[in-house]
Amino acid sequence: MIPELTASAGAPRIAAIEHPFGMTLGRPGDVAGQLAVLRATLQAMAEMTEPGSVVHLPFEWASTEKLRFGPPEPPPIAHYLVRHPWDLPRFLSRTPPVSGS
Amino acid sequence: MAEKKVDSYRFLHGVEKRMLQRWVSLSRETQIPWTPLARPLSQCTVSLVSSAGIALKTDDPFDPEIETQDPWFADPSYRVLPQTVRTGDIEVCHRHINRCFAEQDLNSVLPTERLQELEELSEIGAAASSHFSYIGYTLRPERLLRESVPGIVRQLREEHIDVVVLIPV
Repeated sequence: MIPELTASAGAPRIAAIEHPFGMTLGRPGDVAGQLAVLRATLQAMAEMTEPGSVVHLPFEWASTEKLRFGPPEPPPIAHYLVRHPWDLPRFLSRTPPVSGS
Repeated sequence: MAEKKVDSYRFLHGVEKRMLQRWVSLSRETQIPWTPLARPLSQCTVSLVSSAGIALKTDDPFDPEIETQDPWFADPSYRVLPQTVRTGDIEVCHRHINRCFAEQDLNSVLPTERLQELEELSEIGAAASSHFSYIGYTLRPERLLRESVPGIVRQLREEHIDVVVLIPV
């Protein structure tokens, strides 16, 4: 979903897809769409021959409907950063404070 | 027709978009592991690993208090999900996503029924007996890597899995 982020973890084979968060395979109930994505992912995997290969799957998310992709409530880190704004650079640089500090 | 190029940030806006762009910019060269596919896909046993934090309703639930107490990471444990799992059997515990899609249809994030169909079509050898899930949010990955990943890998090996599909949410 963010193939660059997945690649940064050293994933050997990546099938990138432009689907919203929480619906990686497709919409709830979209059996044909989910099957097509899983099939294409596995076929891409089988055809990759180089470590770090990335295949961009050809699926288009055509809907213009407004879906809420985020959580129903902000997660704890959002509340924390409101109360501790000086830790925002830590969050952006992925360097959390030492546990318990 | 031009080949599709995925827009990684299409569904992100504002702070979240800037945050993920920043995280991507921090990426450094890393060693990439590689295991060649041992046999044709039609003979492979395939397992799924989801970062959605999916637990069976009969499991001990993921502990939300861990993230409430220390918001830099979530419960680092994992759950094993059988191939027979269905939407009504699970709860989704990831606090950074809209859980309602997976709770309407598990196959949106963990496509066990679609995997079964590919087995029935002989496009894969078999759907694995076991699939796995953990909560993908963490800026403190140490416990996840130390306590959970070895257990997942051990079970994948014991069950002679050929292919693992890691599914982010």
